[in-house]
Amino acid sequence: VEEPTDAAVIATSLAEPAAFGSIFDRHATVLHRYLVRRLGPDDADGMVGEVFRIAFEKRRSYDLQRPLARPWLYGIATNLVAKHRRREARRIRATARLAAQRLPALDMAEASDNRLDARDRWARIADAVAALPEPERDALILLVWETLSYEHIADALDIPIGTVRSRINRARNRLRELDFPSGGEQGQDADRPALGGSSRDR
Amino acid sequence: VTDDFDPLRQMRPDRIEPDDPGDPAVFTRAKEKFMSAIDQDHHSKTSMTTPDVYPRLAYSDELAAVEYLTRVFQFVENREARMEHDGTYLCWLRLGTGVVMVGHVNTEVHHIHSPREVGLTTVMLNVYVHDIDAHYAHAVSQGADITMELDDAFFGERRYEATDLEGHRWHFGERFDDIRARGGRPPQT
Repeated sequence: VEEPTDAAVIATSLAEPAAFGSIFDRHATVLHRYLVRRLGPDDADGMVGEVFRIAFEKRRSYDLQRPLARPWLYGIATNLVAKHRRREARRIRATARLAAQRLPALDMAEASDNRLDARDRWARIADAVAALPEPERDALILLVWETLSYEHIADALDIPIGTVRSRINRARNRLRELDFPSGGEQGQDADRPALGGSSRDR
Repeated sequence: VTDDFDPLRQMRPDRIEPDDPGDPAVFTRAKEKFMSAIDQDHHSKTSMTTPDVYPRLAYSDELAAVEYLTRVFQFVENREARMEHDGTYLCWLRLGTGVVMVGHVNTEVHHIHSPREVGLTTVMLNVYVHDIDAHYAHAVSQGADITMELDDAFFGERRYEATDLEGHRWHFGERFDDIRARGGRPPQT
């Protein structure tokens, strides 16, 4: 017997609210992990139920053409995260400090003061992500950490797919600027490889 | 795959710190709370309002009290509202349009005690119910300590009283008018 789609479950839950429990069962762990990544475990534990309570209240407006509810739930969770900007910024900066200690220096083979540079680089990425306008950060995190497709990001944030692309592009450009704050005198940058590698210069 | 986002990808918190799969108890509690919220939404839209005056009752075992009051006297707990603080609980129970708050005895802030501790009961809680005879029969079947038998009072109310597990005194009644209005048996007085 095939499992009913999320959309079918949500349709059923209009008359039988308890049916919505299986939406929780199917997606709670993934949404919890998302909240942990962005805000940390303490906030996530308290918020995961809230995501589903809000979803339940909004279920009448769910687009039943979308079989999978997960992007929609990501959108609701993302709205909750937006209320905790400062905590999110603290979280990513703390993560950058850990990254500097634990991750091997990235593309740093040519750099002379390896460790210092690496530490600096993670912190700058964290600062840049924290400083992104919220719509860009949301799209970026859903893409890079949550590995949602552009289409699902569009569903989650309730925006056209072209808008997703432009937000991701703007975020990408801002992250690139980290390495070329002067705006791209390429010749000087031999000892400062692009974020994430060499591909960008070709 | 290496691209512009690779550093951010590597910086995903659970790739740097060991992934915490999440405490299963957290999910169980969250699910329970969620289902209770759904249930309440379904059954009563009006139940979320709180009267302007309502008592806070002190018990030495407040969770046992909640179990007792819901099972014997048919209160309904608003599970959404339950709060834990330093290992003690505050719970909101309702019956009809009324609300009682149930909490632990408190000797530091509120100075409220359980009758069991002080050996005296100082308050009686009055509760109007629908079909007093059925309410009485249910309470008796659940082992209620009946401290005044069911009878018709001269002032126009059929009532009984019971004392709960820690000595709080409850007076349950139904007005003659309400009994007549639901087509119930006419009172004897």
